Amino acid sequence: MQRLWSRALRAVAVGTAAVVLAACSGNSGGGSGDKIQLKINFWGDFGLTQLKPKYEALHPNIRIVLNSGEYNAQHEDLQKKLIAGSGAPDIAAIDEGFIVSFRSQSDKFVNLLDRGAAQYESKYLPWKWKLSLSPDGKTQIGLGTDVGGQAMCYRTDLFQAAGLPTSRDEVSKLWPTWPDFIRVGQQYTARTGKKFVDSATNIFNPVLSQQPVGFFSPDEKLQMDGGPKVAFDTATAVIDAGLSANLVSFQTGWDQGFVNNSFAVLACPAWMLGHIKDTAPGTNGKWDIAAIPGGGGNWGGSFLTLPKQGKHVKEAYELLEWLVQPAQQIEIFKEVGNLPSQPALYTDPALATFTNPFFSGAPVGQIFGATAMKLQPVYQGKKAGPSRVATENVLRQVEAGQLKGSEAWAEAVRQAQKAAQG
Amino acid sequence: MSATGSAPPAPTRESTTEPGRGPRAPRLGWRDRALRLDVRLMPYVLISPFFLLFLAFGLFPLLFNGVVAFRTWRLDDPTLDGWAGLANFRRLFGDDAFWNALYNTSGIFILSTVPQLLLALIIASLLNRRLRAQTWFRMGALLPYVTPIVASTLVFKVVFERDHGIANWALSFLGLSSAANPIDWHATKTASWIAIATMVNWKWIGYNALLYLGAMQTVPRDVYEAAALDGASQWRQLWRITVPMIRPVVIFTVVLSTIGGLQLFTEPMLYDLNVQGATGGSGGQWQTVAQLIYKVGWKDLNLGYAAAMSWALFLIILVITLANALLTNRLGGGRK
Repeated sequence: MQRLWSRALRAVAVGTAAVVLAACSGNSGGGSGDKIQLKINFWGDFGLTQLKPKYEALHPNIRIVLNSGEYNAQHEDLQKKLIAGSGAPDIAAIDEGFIVSFRSQSDKFVNLLDRGAAQYESKYLPWKWKLSLSPDGKTQIGLGTDVGGQAMCYRTDLFQAAGLPTSRDEVSKLWPTWPDFIRVGQQYTARTGKKFVDSATNIFNPVLSQQPVGFFSPDEKLQMDGGPKVAFDTATAVIDAGLSANLVSFQTGWDQGFVNNSFAVLACPAWMLGHIKDTAPGTNGKWDIAAIPGGGGNWGGSFLTLPKQGKHVKEAYELLEWLVQPAQQIEIFKEVGNLPSQPALYTDPALATFTNPFFSGAPVGQIFGATAMKLQPVYQGKKAGPSRVATENVLRQVEAGQLKGSEAWAEAVRQAQKAAQG
Repeated sequence: MSATGSAPPAPTRESTTEPGRGPRAPRLGWRDRALRLDVRLMPYVLISPFFLLFLAFGLFPLLFNGVVAFRTWRLDDPTLDGWAGLANFRRLFGDDAFWNALYNTSGIFILSTVPQLLLALIIASLLNRRLRAQTWFRMGALLPYVTPIVASTLVFKVVFERDHGIANWALSFLGLSSAANPIDWHATKTASWIAIATMVNWKWIGYNALLYLGAMQTVPRDVYEAAALDGASQWRQLWRITVPMIRPVVIFTVVLSTIGGLQLFTEPMLYDLNVQGATGGSGGQWQTVAQLIYKVGWKDLNLGYAAAMSWALFLIILVITLANALLTNRLGGGRK
């Protein structure tokens, strides 16, 4: 027994040593080879997986490291690294919900105007270009990737089973407004006994993006009684009507919901298409895209920035420049759905005539291109991100039956104020 | 160990060399001094790695944290900098998030520690009898302790899922849950506390049981025989003989589980649907103090306030641990 044990222990010790050695050599192996590593931090799907090998083939001395993470965590992480003075990636993606806070720290980013990015100003939607510009207008911290023009994705098979129309024009006519949308949802749940939407937060966000004023006024005052109130009321109306499957978006239960047919519609900004495709490949051809109730609105859309602390700024800028070229932007759109923020591309035949087979051949180029031209962006305050998270959490409590009616709204105001103060 | 090992030979060498080489005193004196230094200093040198590491990674952060607690230190706004005085601590008293977290922590703490130690005691006394496959049972008790905490928590999270969880499926046979009206294990304080306490209990019962078992095996058999002859039941023997005789170990486990329970972090953190959130549920239903400190420091990026919170937690743990140790010491007729 004794000897057996000691032999086992020795085996374990040798095994551990081997693992440690392997880990060490693995690390040093990565560093050698004289390749320049460019690390990109982002969340969701930026369509970079497909572009990485292409760029590496064009530039044999470059190795791109893709680091995908959770949406909020990536922004918090970037903030920490900027203050710490090291550890930030060579290229950091920033969402419009956080861009105001980062553009006011423009001294920590490479000024892209110094690198000749001014030539791209005329190519971008004017508001998109301005969003990542420092308050004094002298520093451009990022180049826009996509904008989040909105539509409503729906499941044709589930609609058919519920006796609802399935063609995208007819479906669009069903819900010109959000109250209409709720009525259709009630028909659906009455006939099938199933939930209609995935979550109340995915009603709150698109409705909020359609309001003239968001969480913050341009002078950085939290204004819950404007846009957020309208969006919150619409979301709670959806909950009260019993339409929500109460799934927390971008989490495991939500992903399972796609596969289990737990909901029939999903508000989809252009960038959501890639997510649906990645999450539920089995629903290929069962989705289609109609107009969103209330019309328009911009939800999300990102920028790629170069933190100043990066060691390979020149190479990183070259990669960034390559990524925003029309060819790459169109490829990303075709692959994952992210809609470019350069309006000339909307009329480019490659984009305008593109139909997405996953979404029953919907002419996504036309649909989203048209919405993007009409966009009136909502001002995002410095604390728009945290305020949004706080309000979403209150909505989840309403979904779980823990809060009701006016009490819920009072709680939302309280939590958003707290988040705004930090 | 190595210090005591090196000590004995030194004096003997000293005593054998000294008389023979008496005349050549100056050179010997040097060697003598070196040897003495070796004997005196070596033990300290050999135990120093622990203390040096403790200084660097234990004491220094602790003290520095104390300094930070009195400062304004915000990562999202570096211009806000300087001494804050007691502002962070004053904010603490009025912060309902902190009190909520403290409430959750103590709730989960009671739900986990009390059943955990009681069950461990009972299991230990069962394992202490003659059993078939004794080693197998004892190793089995330790298995949850060996399991990585992240892995077990992720599995428990699946068990406690609302729509397709095993817990709800099992409870449906008792009529406590149904497909139409499932228990949402993340929605209420009660449900989420029970879920998290279950994870903690599962992990630590076996570990504590083995500690108790080890202590129980030192209790002489004849005491039990005498008690059995006097007609004491098994239950009575457990409380009147076993517990008083293993009291030092009981105190040890109470202190350890108090400290662990009040610092609970990994389970509540990973139990969240959005693991990155650190909010402990949509309304902070199960947010513990340790989790709140993490959120304030690394998500709200308010380091000064987080440091003040850590010190508050430190003091709370100190007080509760002392109180628990005193209480336990009285258990089963302690002398004090």
